[in-house]
Amino acid sequence: MIVCVAVVGHQNNPLYIQSFTEADDALKLHHIVHCSLDVVDERVNNPKKSGPMLNETFLGLLYPIENYKVYGYLTNTKVKFILVTTDLDVKDADVRNFFRRFHAAYVDAVSNPFHVPGKKITSRTFAERVSTIVKSFGFSSAG
Amino acid sequence: MANFLAQFQTIKNTSDRLVISVEDVSDVWPTVKPAFEARLPFKRATLNNKTRNPVLVEALPAEFILTTDARLRSRFPHEQFLFWFREPYATIVLVTCEDLDEFKTILKPRLKLIVQNDEREWFVVFVSKAHPANDQASKMAKKVYAKLEVEFNTKKRERCCKYDMHFPEANFWEDLESKVMECIRNTLDRRVQFYEDEIRKLSEQRLMPVWNFCNFFILKESLAFMFEMAHLHEDALREYDELELCYLETVNVTGKQRDFGGADHGDDQAALVNPGNKALTQIVQEDSFREFEFRQYLFACQSKLLFKLNRPIEAASRGYSFIISFSKSLALHERILPFCMREVWVTTACLALIEATTSNYKDGLVAPDMEKEFFRLLGDLYSLARVKFMRLAYLIGYGADIERSPVNSASLSLLPWPKPAVWPTVPADASTEVLEKEKLILQTTSRTKSFGIQRKPLPLEPTVLLREANRRRASLSAGNMSEMFDSRQGPMEGSGFDTPTRMSPPPKALASSSISRTNSSPGNFEGSIDRPMRLAEIFIAAEHALKKTISNPELWKSLSSSEEFEQKYLDLTRGAADNYHRSWWKRHGVVLDGEIAAVDFKHGHFDQAAKSYEKVCALYAGEGWQDLLAEVLPNLAECQKILNDQAGYLLSCVRLLSLDEGLFLTKERQAFQSEVVRLAHSEMKDPVPLDVSSLITFSGNPGPPLALCDKDPGILSVTVWSGFPDDITLDSISLTLNATYNTDEGVKALKSSTAIVLHPGRNTITLDLPPQKPGSYVLGVLTGQIGQLRFRSHSFSKVGPADSDDFMSYEKPAKPILKVFKPRALVDLDAAVSSALLINEDQWVGILVRPVNYSLKAAVLHIDTGPGLEIKESHVIEMESSAGVSENDGDQVQNDGAEIRTLNSDKNFERLILRDGKIEFPNWASDIPSILWVLVHAISDTLSRGSSSATTRRESIVDGMRTIALKLEFGAFHNQIFERTLAVHFTYPFYVRTRVTDKCNDGTLLLQVILHSEVKATLTIYDAWLDLQDGFVHTGQTEGRPNSSFFPLIISPSSKAGILFSICLDKANVEETREKPESILNIKYGISGERTIGAHPPVMNRSTGVDGARQELIFRSAITLQRPVLDPCLAVGFLPLPSDCLRVGQLIKMQWRVERLKDLDEAGVSKQNDEVLYEVKANSGNWMIAGRKRGYASLSPQQGARIIISVLCMPLVAGYVRPPLLGLPDVDEANISCKPAGPHLVCVLPPPLSSSFCIPVNP
Repeated sequence: MIVCVAVVGHQNNPLYIQSFTEADDALKLHHIVHCSLDVVDERVNNPKKSGPMLNETFLGLLYPIENYKVYGYLTNTKVKFILVTTDLDVKDADVRNFFRRFHAAYVDAVSNPFHVPGKKITSRTFAERVSTIVKSFGFSSAG
Repeated sequence: MANFLAQFQTIKNTSDRLVISVEDVSDVWPTVKPAFEARLPFKRATLNNKTRNPVLVEALPAEFILTTDARLRSRFPHEQFLFWFREPYATIVLVTCEDLDEFKTILKPRLKLIVQNDEREWFVVFVSKAHPANDQASKMAKKVYAKLEVEFNTKKRERCCKYDMHFPEANFWEDLESKVMECIRNTLDRRVQFYEDEIRKLSEQRLMPVWNFCNFFILKESLAFMFEMAHLHEDALREYDELELCYLETVNVTGKQRDFGGADHGDDQAALVNPGNKALTQIVQEDSFREFEFRQYLFACQSKLLFKLNRPIEAASRGYSFIISFSKSLALHERILPFCMREVWVTTACLALIEATTSNYKDGLVAPDMEKEFFRLLGDLYSLARVKFMRLAYLIGYGADIERSPVNSASLSLLPWPKPAVWPTVPADASTEVLEKEKLILQTTSRTKSFGIQRKPLPLEPTVLLREANRRRASLSAGNMSEMFDSRQGPMEGSGFDTPTRMSPPPKALASSSISRTNSSPGNFEGSIDRPMRLAEIFIAAEHALKKTISNPELWKSLSSSEEFEQKYLDLTRGAADNYHRSWWKRHGVVLDGEIAAVDFKHGHFDQAAKSYEKVCALYAGEGWQDLLAEVLPNLAECQKILNDQAGYLLSCVRLLSLDEGLFLTKERQAFQSEVVRLAHSEMKDPVPLDVSSLITFSGNPGPPLALCDKDPGILSVTVWSGFPDDITLDSISLTLNATYNTDEGVKALKSSTAIVLHPGRNTITLDLPPQKPGSYVLGVLTGQIGQLRFRSHSFSKVGPADSDDFMSYEKPAKPILKVFKPRALVDLDAAVSSALLINEDQWVGILVRPVNYSLKAAVLHIDTGPGLEIKESHVIEMESSAGVSENDGDQVQNDGAEIRTLNSDKNFERLILRDGKIEFPNWASDIPSILWVLVHAISDTLSRGSSSATTRRESIVDGMRTIALKLEFGAFHNQIFERTLAVHFTYPFYVRTRVTDKCNDGTLLLQVILHSEVKATLTIYDAWLDLQDGFVHTGQTEGRPNSSFFPLIISPSSKAGILFSICLDKANVEETREKPESILNIKYGISGERTIGAHPPVMNRSTGVDGARQELIFRSAITLQRPVLDPCLAVGFLPLPSDCLRVGQLIKMQWRVERLKDLDEAGVSKQNDEVLYEVKANSGNWMIAGRKRGYASLSPQQGARIIISVLCMPLVAGYVRPPLLGLPDVDEANISCKPAGPHLVCVLPPPLSSSFCIPVNP
């Protein structure tokens, strides 16, 4: 189950963060996303280590944490997408697919002429689309 | 073979180095032993690894053992193969002999016997006891050794070396070592081959039922151990890795239910760096090993090798993955393991691994990024241990001591509760402990946050512990109360986000107390066996269960009291934070610093707490994570408040206020504000500067910037956004303007000293703007004062809604707010008339006032006339809007087009009074062009002068030019001044030219007077007469007036009219003194013209009513008439030359005709003159004159008499030459008329060619 998705700007500022838990504990997910930026930073700054995936947007699993997984995705404009899931057996292909769709949604959202680049994404359409993508992710992994 | 396990273990423990056996044939070993053993361990040995590649081994340990030693003798042959790794790798045969015979007879056969065993690698060391002084002995020894070499050396291999006891040769030891190495290498290769073959054989049988993992293990580990002994750690590690893979396969594949292990006492302490923790015989189970112990054993072996290979980073990295994966395995077997075994094991494993890796890690030996990786792993290990430790502490009731921060919540609430088969129950004798615990729970109150912030605390538990524990406990008996209690629980148990949390996770202390109270209410469940446990009971039960689980006294001590817990918690947190910092994972590190700060805060170490909190706040604020910042910032503020750090506290309050509005309740925000105001006004002694850029933002008003003309002051209106939740009074405010593109210009501050009240949200404030230099200005800094608080704000452009995120707003380009234009024409003053006005008459001169996009409100015009012009002060000045010239710009038409239209349709007209030479403009004239009509009178003393048509006009325009100096003061503060001097052209209505058109024979002259109209107005001539000067008289009876039927004569603008006067010379009084030197032309005329165009009817004095009445004006012009000058009597005409051209040297006849034009009698010339004297003048170089140049010719004095004078001439040069001229020297030139006039030049051709020699040839 995806518990949180986030868009983080190129200055590591949160642009969009949505948790899909029902409890009122979004803050801890903020924390998880924020901390995962350490990993993203490290990967971005050490291209030597991540040599083959230099041109790869998908950063893969960021954390081998016991109870949840954090995946990252980096666009060409250095915008990061972070996914936190509590599913412990997730297929990479699923996550890749998820990020691709998420990226498309993001591109559409920021293409809105009323969107100020670098500002938080407030579009309701984007939120709906993201939740659809998140729901379908749950299905595909369940099925 | 499995029963060899114990033996294998002991062998492995006893033998730890390669064995070299010594066959001491001649009993010399005791003497040479010290020298031999001093060579150990062998330096720089070269061995072959598993792939037969040479590997350099530094310091290979080995041991010399005599073949007679009990350790080698007591072995059974069948064990030899199995434990071959412990057998000698080389055999040194030690001999000495001083007698050749003895060698031949005794020694040689014995040696042959020893070395016949092929299995062994051997070589012979001959020890020479001979003293070098003893020649005889040493010679003998040499001989024996030579014999020995012959016997035992082969072509392929030298197996002998000689050791001189007294003076060993320099290269002996090298020789010895190389021989030993050769033996060891060969043996090792052979044994590796053997083990590999065996292992392959076993591997092939893997799927057969008889296959036994233990056998495989013994072989594999023997090989690994052999490599390890030979210091080929790399190969040993590979063997263990393969072994692990193989083991995991057997564990996962085989369907056999095996015992997992881990149930022994002490198993909770991880043994992952201690391979000798348990004997293998203890963990063997049927044909394999127990997973719990065996996997740890394998990892321990691997880590030992990794440390030997000096790779602690890899050990840490592998260890972390191992712990994670092993923890998963523990979770699978949690039901059979002791309570919380998994958590305890992970905690101890992490700590053990940290200790082992750090003690094996040497600073600065690896690349910086590897180092970072290592610290990151340590941080991860610490952090993992910390989480598990917190979970344990929570279970026994220290939850209240754990900060409910995002980091703790993230790690704990996503971590499922332990899942024992049955939740531990309270021991029978623990009722007092339960009571105490309950008391403790009731006492603890959740720490109230500063500012009365009410937040739902973040969960530390995946689900409510009370329910989970009771459910686990009661799961054996279905249908009881706790099952019902739990019936709503979703299928996703333990994920932390299911229904119970949604239902009610109120603050922990609250929940626990309220629920426990309902549960313990009498009568409900009392007496029931499965009465749900209360929270205190759960804690106590967990404590007792953990006491059983945890064997490590230190760990247990850490959980024994809340102080001990806190100490350990701090250690773990610090360890994690420090290592994360060293690994440059600043977010992880700083956040954990915040956790330490929370503990510091609790203990009153506010200074340290504030420092750490500041770091956390800076981290979150720097990247705009406001939600997280809102969690920490109040804590920082609280610290600063307690520390009396007023500036810091103020800043924190302001930062709190400037966070997104949704993050705090209005009440809380009001509390922040009241703190700010209270501090600003009361407590501080010195002014405190503060940056409120995030709270008070400002911008210019949307739309185009305020445009001001040069030198104009203005009023600047600025939008200020206040982020305060309530109105706030600013004592003063000032705003700087920065000139763009002009950095050297000093910053100018606009000040408003009056108090300004800012409402929440958008405010508009106005500031007086003194005149600025031309340029474009942007808003700079807003500063102001609230009590003792001096704030400044740098941010602007927050034009959007107040709730928009202003992070990174500094990226927006600054919009200019003020534009001061370069000096330009703001108004134009011009003469409204384009053509000349009448001189010496009262005329309106129009001054066109045209504002150029600038208001002329209350403008004052100073009028000063130049010489020759006066303003009729008695008259008013008329002002009217100039409809035709509506040039005021387009946007005004757009803005208020309706107004313009009405203005244009109703023409404004107003009479103004000129006072002290100035007039004030009416309001309507402020924006539209208008014309000011000033009544002036140009004075000219001179009379208009006519001129003859023959002469050019002398009078220049300058004569009629008059100037009016104008000075317009305008602008809001009469700060703008426009000065201009207008030139107005005045003129007489006519310009007169005269011409004598005809001279009649009777002496009458027809004088034509041409009247040029000088004005752009229609002139009507009513009458004209000419007062003639002396010497001329009018002919006829008209007295110089033309026929009256001509009048009125209308002259269109710029056209001409002519009047003929017939006059004649007054012969009567020619010689009289001239009284009237000039004639005067008098014209009575009227004018009809527009003052907007030019000349117009003059304003009559006080005759306003008779506009239409005919106005007759008099124009007088002086004309000078001159008596005729020329009076020709004779005409000299040049007769045409013959048609063929003149040639040089050819005579021609020039002829002139002289004719008498009038009788000479009249002129009174002497009668003698019937002859005329003539003279021909010619250039003697050009002409040769034949005949008389000068002479008299008779000419009758009668009028019309004529003669022809002929002269023969010959041109001398070719070209155009002046012809000869005929002159009459006796006659005044004035009386000669040359008619027809002779040519100026004649063409003379060169002489014809001589034809004497050019005789034509006739055929």
